[in-house]
Amino acid sequence: MRRPAFLSQGSRAALPITLFLLAGFVAPLIAVIWFSFMPPRTFSLAAAPSLENYATIFDSTSYISFLWSLALAAATVVLLVLVCYPVAYGLVRKFGKWAMLLTLLFTIPLFVSENIRLYGWVLFLIKNGVLLGSLKTYFGLELESILFTRTAILLGMVYVYLPFMLFPLTLGISMVPNETRDAAFDLGASRWQVFREVELPLSMPGIVIGFLLTFVLAVGAITEAKVLGGQRIIPVAHDIEIAFTYAQNWPLGAALSVLLMLVVGALVLAALWRFDLDRFLGRK
Amino acid sequence: MAAPAPILSLKAVAKSFGTFKAVDDINLDIAEGEFFTIVGPSGSGKTTLLRMIAGMEQPSGGDILLRGERINDVPANKRPTCMVFQSLALFPHRTVGENIEFSLKIKGISKEARKVRALELMDLLRLPQSCYAKSVMKCSGGERQRVALARALAYDLQILFIDEPLSAIDSKLRKTLEKELKDIHRETKKTFVYITHSLEEAMVMSDRIGVMQAGKLVQVGTPEVIYSAPNNRFVSEFIGDVNVIGVDVAAGGLLHATSLDTSLKPPAVPQGFSSGHLVIRPEFLRFVTEPSEVDNAVTGRLYNEYALGSRIQYQVRVGEAVFVVEKLRQQAFNGVRGDKVTIGWDAADSILVTD
Amino acid sequence: MPSKAGRLRNALIIAWTLSVLVFIYLPILCITLASLTASRYFQFPITKFGLDWWRKTLGSIEISQLLSTSITIALCVTVVAVVIAFFGALAFARYDWQGRSIYQKLILLPIFFPQSVLGLALLLWFNALGLQMSWQTAVFAHLVWVVPVVTLVISIQVYSFDPALEEAAYDLGASRWQVLREVTLPVLFPGLFSGALFAFLLSWGNFPLSLYTTGADTTVPEYMYAKMVAGYTPGVPVLGTVSTIGAAILLVGGYTLILAMRRTRQTVLE
Repeated sequence: MRRPAFLSQGSRAALPITLFLLAGFVAPLIAVIWFSFMPPRTFSLAAAPSLENYATIFDSTSYISFLWSLALAAATVVLLVLVCYPVAYGLVRKFGKWAMLLTLLFTIPLFVSENIRLYGWVLFLIKNGVLLGSLKTYFGLELESILFTRTAILLGMVYVYLPFMLFPLTLGISMVPNETRDAAFDLGASRWQVFREVELPLSMPGIVIGFLLTFVLAVGAITEAKVLGGQRIIPVAHDIEIAFTYAQNWPLGAALSVLLMLVVGALVLAALWRFDLDRFLGRK
Repeated sequence: MAAPAPILSLKAVAKSFGTFKAVDDINLDIAEGEFFTIVGPSGSGKTTLLRMIAGMEQPSGGDILLRGERINDVPANKRPTCMVFQSLALFPHRTVGENIEFSLKIKGISKEARKVRALELMDLLRLPQSCYAKSVMKCSGGERQRVALARALAYDLQILFIDEPLSAIDSKLRKTLEKELKDIHRETKKTFVYITHSLEEAMVMSDRIGVMQAGKLVQVGTPEVIYSAPNNRFVSEFIGDVNVIGVDVAAGGLLHATSLDTSLKPPAVPQGFSSGHLVIRPEFLRFVTEPSEVDNAVTGRLYNEYALGSRIQYQVRVGEAVFVVEKLRQQAFNGVRGDKVTIGWDAADSILVTD
Repeated sequence: MPSKAGRLRNALIIAWTLSVLVFIYLPILCITLASLTASRYFQFPITKFGLDWWRKTLGSIEISQLLSTSITIALCVTVVAVVIAFFGALAFARYDWQGRSIYQKLILLPIFFPQSVLGLALLLWFNALGLQMSWQTAVFAHLVWVVPVVTLVISIQVYSFDPALEEAAYDLGASRWQVLREVTLPVLFPGLFSGALFAFLLSWGNFPLSLYTTGADTTVPEYMYAKMVAGYTPGVPVLGTVSTIGAAILLVGGYTLILAMRRTRQTVLE
């Protein structure tokens, strides 16, 4: 149409967001990486680089919090896939005109900040709270609260990250054309075979995104452990926060962050490298 | 000698969605090995009917019999029928070979045997062997059609259903595929039930045609019958441009054309006929100099002329009505727009329909 | 094919979905209940119901300061995010350019990143730059996460944008600016509106990023967290309920508006 001034139209449109993210995302992460190589408890970026912080992590108990975060995130993801797949399936194939309303209902809590919603669980699970209080008053049962246990933390994480698994799954399942399913059925496949041969492979992009998003967010979870776990488990994000605030040891916090970023980065790269985002998001 | 029992029998089959009757009281017998085509405009219910026979939809009423046995409750994956969908519904994540072999893999047939059968079918469908490992997403439109057909034929079927596969194809490729489908039908000797909205296409391939309108089967017959003896106005207008004249019964075995206000000699007036339409196909109208050359003649003005490849179409204005005349190029009529012309037809070349 | 097994499956799916929905709203319900007690502490079943805490909270000056801080941040985030994301979305879904596929993946990285760690990284970065933490740094922090999300939301609308509309406008003599104003922006408006809605709500409800980057200023979620940890009052659930109802109203209202917009656009374009 017209010869572009000096960059193509696309790259010019991409400029504002790219510059912004360079300054707001890339730069802080580089700062963090740089800090991780600084001597412990210093605040300057000009000191001689050292690997002390990384050594500290593996010598001390910090790596335990790391493993706990990974384990909790993995458990959360597995539970969420099982919980969300039937719902996503229903939303795409069964609920018809109700699907929009249900989707809206599932979306609303996303915009209520997570500490409020988690606090609701505290009110539900605490001694003399909604659950235990009712059980005591109406049924005469006096049970122990599961609050401040590891189960509670897992519950909180499944709760908070549910929409992040549900919506990608829904998108993935909607990518399976109805007629392709019918065809497999028509060709003699049983319901289970149709699922295994057609539905599952064709909805895989959605499953991958759901897994990835949920895991990555869950591995950095902190509020659930603080609010519902009562310090039972210190996830790695909490360790990082402690290092940055109470312990005043920025380099250590930075080193922990770098390790977390490596894990997250590796996963994201592996999953998204050959992912066709255009097809997934609905390019006509 | 009694006629062989039909392979497929539909008795009072109907389907309603809420108050909307998509399919209404269909009674039909399809003979084994027949190429039967269901023709109708969009929304006439043909796809719904097909889906019911294939097992994708439950009829609201009526029975579907396969070789005399009621199959209403047999699920689609157990019926000895297979369907080629309008969208083809190929498995995009699989290769050509894997698509074709799908039903064989489901049955547990060994890899080698599957491949042999797949290559056989690819030969039949004129797919080059090199396509076997090709991803279906990389195949052309024509190749995909053939893969879809091969996949369906690999299934141990007795009836093959084909739902409007050629509507999105350009006309040259379509003509080739129509002929090839007919060849495959002859070679495999299976029963084919085909759906299309184009009567021309149906006429090329079918042994018999069923015309559907608003959920009902309005006529079933061979292509010749459908063409030359349509039951009603809808069927007669389904192919090409036709001339339709509203008529009432008049004295002496004649008909009175209501809009032209003249008497016409009909082919044969059935008992109890009071009013309806006289249908004359454009190729049966002639330009005449003397009205006595033909049974029926009208006079008007030459209005338009269209070149349609091997034929030329003339439009003649007679009063308020426009008549369409078609002539082969070699027999073109020498006339100028605005000329006064007389056109006519023989009674035997016209069709009387009651609507 | 509603066979008996099929019907059972459908019933199970419906039952399961409703259970999950109940699970999602249970804590929110508890919060609403907790706001209705007249006593200082929370005990269930509630013996004394009352709206006193509602009156106290909504009338408090401290609370209105918080609300204004949160709203100010959210509004700034919304405006900046929509502008940047608009162009970002055009680059994402409309123009074909070299490097587009890498751009698409890199832009989404801040979404695939643990928020608390992002907040801490930004804290580090701001400190290294010698910046004082305040609500302005919080705006910046929110934007890092919100801009990619809004870009994604607008991109989804841009994918179904027909480039022929712009070409037709050029053909009819419009300048680049006029095309943008008369064609692109109006047609994409529902997408921009959704993006703005998302930006506002995500910023309003954000906790991890605010916690580390607001400095002396406090947002509503931060205040509530502080009170949850020490110094619980039923004012907390009151605020929580207000937050939830506000989000619900905005979402449902916004969504209805978008549907209405789409419908009028459909009829105009047909």
